Amino acid sequence: MPQIIIDGRSVECRPGIPVLQAAIEAGLAVPHYCYHPGLSIVASCRLCLMEMKMPHPKTQESVWAPKLFPSCQTPVRDGLEVRFNSPAVRQNQKHVMEYYLLNHPLDCPVCDKAGECYLQDYAERHGSASSRMIEEKTKNPKKDIGPHTLLYQDRCVLCTRCVRFCDEVAGDAELAVVNRGGRGEIDVFPGRPLDNALQGNVVDLCPVGALLDKDFLFKQRAWLLRSTPSVSPADSRGQTIWIDHNDGRVWRIRPRYNEKVNEWWISDEARFGWKHVHREDRLRQPRVRQGGQWRRQTWETLPALLRTQLQEAARTDDGARVAAVLSPMLACEEAWLLATFVRGLAPRATLAIGPVPLVGQDQSFPKGFIIKAEKCPNRRGIEAILRQLGGATATFDELCRKAVEGEFAAAYVYGGYPESWVSPAAAEALSRVGFLVVHDLFESLLTQAAAAVIPAASWVEREGCFMNCDGLVQPFERALAPLDGVKAEGQLFSELAGRPGLYRAAKVREAMAETMPEFRDVFTPQPLPEHAH
Amino acid sequence: MPFEPVLMRHVNVPNSTSIDVYKRAGGYEGACKALKMTPDELVELVKKANLRGRGGAGFPAGMKWSFLPKERTVTYLCVNADESEPPTFCNRITIETDPHMLLEGILIAGYATRTTVAYIYMRGEFTEQFHILQRAVDEAYAAGYFGKNILGSGYDLECYIHRGAGAYVCGEETGLIESLEGKRGWPRIKPPFPAVEGAFRKPTVVNNVETLACLPHILTRGLEWWLSIGTENSKGPKMYCVSGPVNRPGCYEAPLGISVRELIYGDDFARGLRGGKKVKAVFPGGLSMGVIRGDLFPRNPAGTVDPKADYDELDCRLDFDDVRNYDLLGLGTAALVVIDEDTDIRDVLVNVARFYSHESCGQCTQCREGTAWMYKIAQRIRAGAGRLYDLDLLQEVTQNMGMMPGLSICGLPDGAAWPIRTLVYKFRREFEAHIARQAPDAVMTYARRINPAAYELPVLHGRAVIDEGGTFQTPVDLMSKRVTLGPAREVVAAAD
Repeated sequence: MPQIIIDGRSVECRPGIPVLQAAIEAGLAVPHYCYHPGLSIVASCRLCLMEMKMPHPKTQESVWAPKLFPSCQTPVRDGLEVRFNSPAVRQNQKHVMEYYLLNHPLDCPVCDKAGECYLQDYAERHGSASSRMIEEKTKNPKKDIGPHTLLYQDRCVLCTRCVRFCDEVAGDAELAVVNRGGRGEIDVFPGRPLDNALQGNVVDLCPVGALLDKDFLFKQRAWLLRSTPSVSPADSRGQTIWIDHNDGRVWRIRPRYNEKVNEWWISDEARFGWKHVHREDRLRQPRVRQGGQWRRQTWETLPALLRTQLQEAARTDDGARVAAVLSPMLACEEAWLLATFVRGLAPRATLAIGPVPLVGQDQSFPKGFIIKAEKCPNRRGIEAILRQLGGATATFDELCRKAVEGEFAAAYVYGGYPESWVSPAAAEALSRVGFLVVHDLFESLLTQAAAAVIPAASWVEREGCFMNCDGLVQPFERALAPLDGVKAEGQLFSELAGRPGLYRAAKVREAMAETMPEFRDVFTPQPLPEHAH
Repeated sequence: MPFEPVLMRHVNVPNSTSIDVYKRAGGYEGACKALKMTPDELVELVKKANLRGRGGAGFPAGMKWSFLPKERTVTYLCVNADESEPPTFCNRITIETDPHMLLEGILIAGYATRTTVAYIYMRGEFTEQFHILQRAVDEAYAAGYFGKNILGSGYDLECYIHRGAGAYVCGEETGLIESLEGKRGWPRIKPPFPAVEGAFRKPTVVNNVETLACLPHILTRGLEWWLSIGTENSKGPKMYCVSGPVNRPGCYEAPLGISVRELIYGDDFARGLRGGKKVKAVFPGGLSMGVIRGDLFPRNPAGTVDPKADYDELDCRLDFDDVRNYDLLGLGTAALVVIDEDTDIRDVLVNVARFYSHESCGQCTQCREGTAWMYKIAQRIRAGAGRLYDLDLLQEVTQNMGMMPGLSICGLPDGAAWPIRTLVYKFRREFEAHIARQAPDAVMTYARRINPAAYELPVLHGRAVIDEGGTFQTPVDLMSKRVTLGPAREVVAAAD
C-alpha cells in the first residue's frame, strides 16, 4: 500500500490509482469533470491540477516543481507529496471555473441537473458570482439524440465522459465530438441515434445538465428526491440502484456503485424497470369468492381465513394436497416465511418455483458489464430455500400438470411479475385447484380463476434481499409505502406464520441464517463520497 | 566566404523534382554514406552537428532519437509536413522543388533510428505538393531507396504519405500521431512520450521536413562545413519565409542568426517595404512566437520618443537563443510577417485571435474557452467598444491560459497566448489611444445590445479615461467590490 502525502496529510492508498482518486477517497473535494474511475483518462478539463514535489534537477533535493500536474493522470507512488491547497492550484481552479461559466446559459432554474450539478457546486466553491464577459454567449442547439435522451449543448462542458462511455463501456460509440475548439459539440452520427442497452448511464455520467433523460425531464427537482438503496429486479445480476422518490412516487432510478456487480452503471432495463409500480390497474383490495360472488376482504380477517382454508385442505394425506408457488420476484425472507408457513400447515406440501422469465441471451459489453437473459432477481435465492426445506418440490410446469389431474385441494400462488406471466393453459390447469389463492400485482386469467385474490406490493414497497445469479446476497430497502389498501408481503407472511409484531427483513434473515449460512453476511457496497464518480 | 544555399539549391532548376536531376547534383550520396555507418554512429554524428529541430521548438534531433528505448522491434518515423503555422511555407518549397532531398533525409533518419515504416504526414491543403511527393516516393522505390534491403545494406524501410484534413493542431506531434491513426487530431497526454509509445503504441520519432532535409547535407558536406554555419548554439542553414507588404516576399535561405532587419531590408532578401513604408511590427517566428516592434519606441516607457536614443527590435537575430531577448517564445518556424505603419493594430489583434480560436482543438478548457473569449474581446475592441480594462483582461487571460507550464495538454495555448500577450504589452499605448477616441457610451451601447441589464454590472466601468498626465484608471479595483450603480447614463457620467 503506497503512502502519499496530500496537503501535508499522510494518506494510504491502493496501488496504481491516480492521485485524484486517492484524494477523493481520502475525503478531499478536488474538483474535476473529465475524470471518471470507470473510464479512460483524458486529462482535458484541467480542473484537478495539483502541485507535486520533485527532485531538483541539479541538487536532487525534493522541491515543489514549478508547474502544475493533472492529478487524474499522475499515478500514486510511495512517498509522493502533492498539494491542492496552494495559491497556484486555487488560482487555476478559479480561472478554469471562470472559463466554464463564460458561455454557460446559467439556466439552473429550469435545469434538471440543478442541485446535483458539478458545475453548480464548483461554481459556488471556486467560481465568481459575476461574469467578466460582456460579449454575446455562444449559443448551441438542443438536440434529440435518441429515444431516451436529450442533449442541451449549451450546458455542455465537453468533458467527453459520455463519448468515452459509449466507446469503452457500451461499445457502440454512438457519440462523438464534432467541430473544433469553442465550437465543439457532442453529437450522434446521422441516422444513428443513441440507443444502446446502457445508454441511460450517460445522463448520470454527465457532470452538468447537458444530457437529460426524457423520462425525467422537468419532473422533479433533485433536492426534493430521497434516495433509497435498492437492488434492481430487472435481471438476475442484481444491479444495485438508488430509487429516487418523492411524494409517494418513484421518479427515476440511478446506479448505485457496486464493485462486485455493476460498478458505476446499470442497464436501461433496470433504469426504466419501475413503470409497473405506478400502473393504474394494480390490485388494491383482497377479495374472496363466496358462492360464486366476489366479497371484499379486510387484511385483518384475511390471515385467519387463509389459515382455515389451507388447514382444511391439509387434513388429508398429511398435507400432500397443498401446493405453493414461490415466484423468483419474491425476496428471500418473504419466500422463506411463506414456505415455512405452508410446510408448517402441511408438511408434505409441494413447493414450486414460479416461472423464470428468459429473454434472448446474456449480453456482454466490452468492459465486462453483463445483462442477463434471466429477467428476475431471485431464482437462486428461492432455489436455495427450497433445497434447504427439502420435501416435495416441483417446477411450475410439473405443478400445473399435477393440478390438471386434480391433485391439489389448495394452492398458494405468488406472482409479482411486472408483466403478465401466466399462460392460458397454466391458468386453466390451476383453476382445477380446490382453493386457489393468487397473490399478484395485476389482474390476470389466474385471478379470475382464483378463490382468493391478494394484492401484492412491488419490490419498491418491500424490503429484503435477493440472491443474484452468482450467489451474492444483496439487501434492498423499502422506498415507498405500499399502495393504499395493500399490505407488504413480509408483513402478511409474518402474520400467517404467526410471527407477531412488525416485519423486519433483517430479523427474518437472522432466523434463516441459523440453517442457511449464506444469508449470514449480506453484501452492501460502500456508498461513494460526493462527486466520486 | 559567401553563403551557398543548399536547401534551396534546386529552386528554379528545371525538372528538379525528378530523381535524375537530384542524383546529378550528388543526391543520395549522403544516404549511401549513412548506410555504411552504424545507426549509433549516425546518431552520434547528428548529435555532434547539434541539428536542432526546425519545426519550432528547436529540440536537438539527435537527442530525440536517443530517447527511443533500446529494445524495440518496430519503430515509426513520422515526418511532420503539416506546415500549418500561419505565414510559413518553407516545407512547401522543399517539397515542390526538391522532394528527393526530403526522402533522402527520411532514409538517413530512418536508418539511424532503425525505423521500419516512415509516414509523411502531409497538410491537407497540399494537393499539388502531394502529387509531386508521391511521384518522388515512387521513383525512390523504383530506384531501390525504399523497400527491402536498401542498396544491399540489409535495411528495410517503407514510406507512405498520409494526408491530413487541415488542422493546425495536427502539427503538434501527438496530435499528428492521433490523426495518423485515423482518430480525431487531439494531442495526447504525456507521458508516455512518442519516443516510448507513439503511433500505434510503438516507439515513434516525429521530425520536421526541414530537419530531415538537412541530413543529406551534413553527411555529404561534412560536419566541419555544417558547424561553420550559424551561431554558437544554432548551427546550419535555415529557410526563412517573409510575407507582408514587402517588395520581394518569399522564402530565403540564410545561415541561422540572420537579423530581422537584414531579412526585411537586405538586397538578397525582401528589399524593404512597398512604397517605402515603415515597419510597425514583425511576427518573426510564425504567429505563435510573439511580436517585435519595428517602429521606434522609448527604452523607458515614461519618456518621449527620441529617434536617436530610442530603438526598434529589428536587430533581433533569428536563431534559437537571441529571440528570447526580445520576449519571444522561440525561433518558431522563422517565418516573418511584416506589418507596416498603416495597419491598425486592432486588426492584427483580431486576426491573431481569430486564428487560434478557430484552431484550438477544444480539449483543454483554458484553450477552448480562452481563445474564443479573446477573439470576442478583440472583435469588440475592433468594433470601437473597447475598455482599458480589456487590455488587462487580455493579459490576464493569456496568463492563465498557458503561461504557467502544465496547464494544458499541448503547447497550443502557449502559442495562442503569447502573440496576444506581446501585442497588448508592446502596443498598449496604441490600443489605449484607440480606446480613448471611442464614443463615450460605446461600451455601454455594445453591452446593452447583448444584455439589457448589463449596466448593473460593475465590469462595465471600463471606458477609457486617460488624464492629462497620461495615466489612466482601469476598473480592476472595481471588480473586487460590488458597487451599487445608478442607471446607465449616470454611470458614464461618473466614469468621466
